[in-house]
Amino acid sequence: MGTISKIHEMLTTKQCSCEELAKSYLDQIEKSNGELNAYVNVTADEALATAQTVDKKIASGETIGMLEGVPMTLKDNISTKGIETTCCSKILTGYKPIYNATVWDILSKENSVLLGKTNMDEFAMGSSCETSYFKGAMNPFNTNHVSGGSSGGVASAVGANIAAFGLGSDTGGSIRQPASFCGIVGLKPTYGAVSRYGLIAYASSLDQIGPITKSVEDAAIVFDAISKYDDKDSTSKGYSGTSTYETLNNDIKGMKIGIAKEYLDGIRDDVKEAVLAAAEVYRSLGAEIVYFDLPALKYALPVYYIIACAEASSNLGRYDGIRYGYKTEHYNGTHDMICRTRSEGFGDEVKRRILLGTYVLSAGYYDAYYKKAQNLRGTIVKAFDEAFEKCDVILAPTVPMTAFEKGRAVSDPIETYLTDICTVPVNIAGLPGVSVPCGFNAKGMPIGMQIIGKSFSEAQILNVAYKYQQAAGENFKDTKWGVKL
Amino acid sequence: MTCPVLFERLVSMVTREDVENIALLSKLFVPEEELDGLTKSMQEIIDFADTINNAPSADDSFDNINNLSNVFREDEVIPSYSNEEILSNAPEQAEDHFLVRNRE
Repeated sequence: MGTISKIHEMLTTKQCSCEELAKSYLDQIEKSNGELNAYVNVTADEALATAQTVDKKIASGETIGMLEGVPMTLKDNISTKGIETTCCSKILTGYKPIYNATVWDILSKENSVLLGKTNMDEFAMGSSCETSYFKGAMNPFNTNHVSGGSSGGVASAVGANIAAFGLGSDTGGSIRQPASFCGIVGLKPTYGAVSRYGLIAYASSLDQIGPITKSVEDAAIVFDAISKYDDKDSTSKGYSGTSTYETLNNDIKGMKIGIAKEYLDGIRDDVKEAVLAAAEVYRSLGAEIVYFDLPALKYALPVYYIIACAEASSNLGRYDGIRYGYKTEHYNGTHDMICRTRSEGFGDEVKRRILLGTYVLSAGYYDAYYKKAQNLRGTIVKAFDEAFEKCDVILAPTVPMTAFEKGRAVSDPIETYLTDICTVPVNIAGLPGVSVPCGFNAKGMPIGMQIIGKSFSEAQILNVAYKYQQAAGENFKDTKWGVKL
Repeated sequence: MTCPVLFERLVSMVTREDVENIALLSKLFVPEEELDGLTKSMQEIIDFADTINNAPSADDSFDNINNLSNVFREDEVIPSYSNEEILSNAPEQAEDHFLVRNRE
């Protein structure tokens, strides 16, 4: 498995040069991206230049960091200076940011090797990657199935091992859901733990950047690197806890793992069985399983869509064809120019969410929808606080089903929204959650489970996730694609 | 006698005119042939969003996540980007400025 520690060992013991390694990843992207469509922009020149820098350091006997020379990718809504960043929308085609997102500033200073930018649902609005202007990324376990979304490209690339790890963003499940669909690990950190500076905004009170990786250990390594306080993000707190990597192997004996009944309602049998089997693994490791009710959860999904769309309608007001991106060719006056630019530049799902957001914020509807949703958000936060008095972490499915076949999401928006039912509560309450592979269904498609913790308890949820990977490593599988290490 | 349920449904009825009005506020053009389909799909989503009105009325306020509060700093002038950099992504520019519309 092409994990970060494996790559670090290969580089430091000189089993291969960093340039050779980068080239083998680039070769595999060339071979497989036609079918997977994970990458929307391959940055081969930048990757090789960074790899050569790392090789020089190794040759001169300098020690290198864990993430140094590791081939990786970024979701295409994370700003990269001088490298096109489109959010997979027509409206941002050609846009080259003049600054780096803080997370990329950190990783590029560590000499991580950026292979390219990866596919996503347009402006991160979707659960299958199919709203992308560049068409969806496919699932490495079966390319007739979607990779999930919105960070589908990162998950497809990491699942196919055409990147060792990647950074995605999670507004309502966009890291955890595709990680679950592609049989890998996805961590949505606590709101405020990782800087959002340079992340192109969808819904600012919910958005959070986090790692998508092949193993829990890798998620801890990447999280430790990126979870720094940043004065450029006014919602940044940084992670003040100890290194999550150091505590991965802590004993979980006596730990209380909670299962909320509502998380299992309407979940497909194969997914439910896999999650309950994982609970048994935890029991065998000495943890105590506690069951309880979390009735506030049933309002999480509509609350999420109201708040997310309201914030999106405001955030996406900036796309007017004047300062960056696409501009319509023929128009008659400023208002006409802005309307045409936006109508031609945004896809259907983005328009639908802007309209819904504007509707719930407009006079006459504000109290019934937006205000009510904000009140219920408070109720959900309180419900989680109370739940964490009964248990240390919560175990839940990540998605009610496994990756569905392509084309299905496009036909029914509401049904697609329902795929987010298990992931959105975490964003509403600002909590951390990690999705971990916990088995396969009869068709060989991966199933994911989610471990949810209190705010800033990443060390604990990664510890719980790591213990599972140690005990049930068979659920972490390589696919036929990509670099074999 | 008033019927609260009926009242809620009336509040949530999405009409073609609503969609046209919201589109105008959102600075989006909706072609005539897409208006009916979009009204229907908006109605479905609003019906779904309406389920929150079945929730017991809660007075739980929500004003921030994880006790985040406003961040202030002294208003100091620090180096920033050059005009050239800022304008580098503009679809059109004139005389070191963004061009909003072509001159008549």
